Amino acid sequence: MGAVFVGVRHHSPACARLVAATIEEQQPAYVLVEGPADFNERIDELLLGHELPVALFSYSDQHASWSPFCDYSPEWVAIIEARRCGAEVRFIDLPAWHEAFRDVSNRYADAELRYTEVVDRLCVEFSVDNVDVLWDHLFECETDPVGMAEYFDLLRGTADADEGDSAREEYMARWVRAAVADAGDRPVVVITGGFHTAALKAKLDGGTEWPEVPERERGASYLVPYSHARLDAFTGYQSGMPSPGYYQQVWENGAQRAADWLVESVATRLRERQQPVSTADLIAAHTQAGALARLRGHENLARTDVLDGLTSALISEDLTQPPPWTRRGTLQPGAHPALAEMLGALRGDKVGRLHPGTPAPPLVNAVQELLRTHGLDQEGKVALDLTDAEALGRSRILHRLRVLRIPGFTRTSGPTEGAQPRLDEQWTLRPVEERLAALIEAAENGATLEEAAGAVLERRSRHAQLEELAGILFDAVLCGISTLSGRVKQSLNEGVKDTGDLAALGKVLSGVLGLWRHDRLFGTRRDPLLGSVIDVGTARVLWLVEGLHGGPAPADPNRLKAMAAARDAVLHAKSALSLDVVDVTGVATRVSNDVQAPPDLRGAALGLAWALGSKPDVRKVRTIEALGDWLAGLFAVAREEVLASPDLVGVLDELVSAMDEDEFLVALPALRLAFSYFPPRERETIAATVLAHRGVEGSTRNVTRLTVDPVAVAEAMAIEKRVDALLVKGGLA
Amino acid sequence: MTSTQTMQRPPAEVRYADELARLRDADTAPKPPGWALSLASARKFVVGDEKSGISKKFVGDPSLVDRALVTLATSRGLMLVGEPGTAKSLLSELIAAAVCGESTLTIQGGAATTEDQIKYSWNYALLVAEGPSPRSLVPAPMLRGMAEGKIVRFEEITRCPLEVQDCMLSMLSDRVMAIGELNGPDGMVFAQDGFNVIATANTRDRGVNEMSAALKRRFNFETVFPIADFDTELALVEQEAAKLLERSGVELAPRRDVLEVLVRTFRDLREGSDRLTTVMSTAEAVSVAHAVGLRGWFLRGEVGSAADVVECLAGTAAKDNAEDLARLRRYLEQHAARRKGAQWQELHRARHLLPG
Repeated sequence: MGAVFVGVRHHSPACARLVAATIEEQQPAYVLVEGPADFNERIDELLLGHELPVALFSYSDQHASWSPFCDYSPEWVAIIEARRCGAEVRFIDLPAWHEAFRDVSNRYADAELRYTEVVDRLCVEFSVDNVDVLWDHLFECETDPVGMAEYFDLLRGTADADEGDSAREEYMARWVRAAVADAGDRPVVVITGGFHTAALKAKLDGGTEWPEVPERERGASYLVPYSHARLDAFTGYQSGMPSPGYYQQVWENGAQRAADWLVESVATRLRERQQPVSTADLIAAHTQAGALARLRGHENLARTDVLDGLTSALISEDLTQPPPWTRRGTLQPGAHPALAEMLGALRGDKVGRLHPGTPAPPLVNAVQELLRTHGLDQEGKVALDLTDAEALGRSRILHRLRVLRIPGFTRTSGPTEGAQPRLDEQWTLRPVEERLAALIEAAENGATLEEAAGAVLERRSRHAQLEELAGILFDAVLCGISTLSGRVKQSLNEGVKDTGDLAALGKVLSGVLGLWRHDRLFGTRRDPLLGSVIDVGTARVLWLVEGLHGGPAPADPNRLKAMAAARDAVLHAKSALSLDVVDVTGVATRVSNDVQAPPDLRGAALGLAWALGSKPDVRKVRTIEALGDWLAGLFAVAREEVLASPDLVGVLDELVSAMDEDEFLVALPALRLAFSYFPPRERETIAATVLAHRGVEGSTRNVTRLTVDPVAVAEAMAIEKRVDALLVKGGLA
Repeated sequence: MTSTQTMQRPPAEVRYADELARLRDADTAPKPPGWALSLASARKFVVGDEKSGISKKFVGDPSLVDRALVTLATSRGLMLVGEPGTAKSLLSELIAAAVCGESTLTIQGGAATTEDQIKYSWNYALLVAEGPSPRSLVPAPMLRGMAEGKIVRFEEITRCPLEVQDCMLSMLSDRVMAIGELNGPDGMVFAQDGFNVIATANTRDRGVNEMSAALKRRFNFETVFPIADFDTELALVEQEAAKLLERSGVELAPRRDVLEVLVRTFRDLREGSDRLTTVMSTAEAVSVAHAVGLRGWFLRGEVGSAADVVECLAGTAAKDNAEDLARLRRYLEQHAARRKGAQWQELHRARHLLPG
């Protein structure tokens, strides 16, 4: 009999109907479907009774890809119908880990989009905006579409397939030949993307051996629950037919009813968002859509007829971006609410669900077992005391899940990088639908939770900048993954050695220092590798600081953090440092006296020297320019020393009082930053010192807490100024 | 009567008279009441149809044209909004020519537009001699459009004072204009089939936000966007500039690589962080290309070069705005130098021709 080819557009209801009719009519021996051939032994898994959409997720150590199915996928309908009439079903395409799929993340993307020239020509010919509109125009809105085969032949006629497509076609053709030979006088129905059909027809002569499935070293395919939202989220070359929610309606109820559904759901969605949609608008939309369909010669309302009708009726402003269905783009931020709701309605909200008996990758079972035995599989809050070994174990499980980005595990509080050590954690657990899909997809990283989390961190660390490395190290510590952290520490060490970024260095140094000093919990305390990071990092901070020159610039809190980290390293990690304290003090003193250094750094350097025991000459403060910035630096590094020095506070009080209004306003932002380094209680201490210095008795509370609205104060000051000016003018001052 | 040969720019119905005649003859589809062409033929006239030899006149999305035509067949007016230079007026002219065979019933909106210029005024000599009568009435475009069942074009409607805009309300909703001065049946002019309004508004001047909600409700809004695709825009600029140069007596067609540089520069300066405050529209690109050709031909007797582009850009793109000039200079210094091709290097070398 030979092969009957049905070229389809993936996810097209019109093609799905065609496929069903063809199989019904032919009663074939084989139905060959474009899909990963390695899944053939497990094709029954597809028919367990899932709620669609679901996808076949395939991964190898190189990359991962999806083959999504929804109710109206021609491939899915082919499988169902083939089973119904007793035909053998085979997937005939190369597995997802094959070289041909290197840049493909969606197997069912539109192949023809990679060859746009002919598509563009057709769009001009039919005066339509783009290929989706063209497709609707030609096929989707017709009850009995004609000319689909010619359409695909035309697409293919002018384009040479690239290497990947050629390899796939060669492989698929081998399956077709083998099936035809095996079927004898019964037909074989072949369902592939329409782009490939012509090429397959041309390859019917050749060997009739059943092809082998290419072997792979590592990798597998599993079913994952999918959703309309994800189906719609592919962009560029990876995208297939848009608007799954709408086409689901077309499949279930036909184009005419789908159009009504679309208008109704857009109106409902807009009204839910308190956007006015009047009955007159809806009538106008219906009229407009109907008239557009007639003008365009559509038997039933097409998707864009309805959308264009709604646009005309609902939008009475200028748009900031073209409607996405005219340009095949996604919605940019700031879109008109009507556009956003239209796209939302088109997208649909169906979420797939796998049959409970579906085989899952080992990671899924491993994680579910872990969650159950550790009581983490229910909803609610979990408080963990990390000094308890059992709780520490649970914390590590949760952190590993967090690193794998499995949804539904949120940490609300707990230890953070470089901060004071905390010994407890709070988590919020929320079992969500997407958790299973995320777990199956995370399975590409490993078979156990520890292995998978380690692999993810490892991959992140490979390209990480210095700043991220510290975060990765911290994550590795939280996850209790020791094998990895050694390598990360090594790269940290190298990164720190020659970085020029003082801010990043400060962040890394303070983070690492925290781990080195405090972390009994995670076993990183006094870790020699971390110690060497601290040693090298501190030296690097000093080196960079001494070379920093430049005129007065606003205080930079990040580099002040680096100075504070250097102080902590010298004070608390002396055993790790190969530097001598005297040398550090020497650098600090030099920088603090260097007129070319930025003021905040000079202040910080003075603070560093002071914190290391060399008391500064308070009188020198009077010569400082850009006082605010200088103070920010000083306070960031030597807060406690300043509190204990009434002399300095006194001098500062005099300096600030002596400023005229303009000077004060210029210095104000920096002064605010400077004083923000003190917690409220210490600010009161300073206030007390100031009061004492001025010889005033009184409550510091009144000085530091403003009960009057600052705006009122400002107004009063402005009035006072005007009165003064008038008095001067009248010669009465 | 002026001769169409010497007209600087004949209206669309004159320029494309033969295309319109052919479409009319071949038109078998039902026409909306009062229309000269069916919707499908009107659409062909605007977006072009190779098979029947109708040229493509508007390069935007075809769906926009569909929506615009369908809107005009309903009881709402059509409002075209968009950045300046996105061919809104051209589109309105083409549609008016296609729908009613006449695109000259035009009101140009501005701060000084009054109701007289929209509805009607009087021939004062006759008014004094005979009193108000149909003879002494001087119809303005709205009155003519309503009485004759034609499309009225209202350009830049948002530049009119709000109260003048609102005088359109009753005419658009009740489809009738009352002439208070005339008695009897002459005092009411009812709109005939085929009457509708195409208004345009640009988003750079006072936008459509200030329009009264009542008036907005009587229009369907269509936003016209700049051309999305580089090749389409380049082809359009090339075609239009060539036409203009030919009319100006320049015998050399513009150099393609120079136009490429010009269009790319315009597109780069239209979007992104280094966007100019001046409008960098396709229309503006055409006029720069025209000026470039003129400079080359009349100053040196040769085709315009990339250096001419710089000179012309300084005048058009950076109109009186020091910041725009600085951006343009930065663009020429940094971006042009990195692009490949002799024409880009030429552009880069000519950067010192910018003033200041």
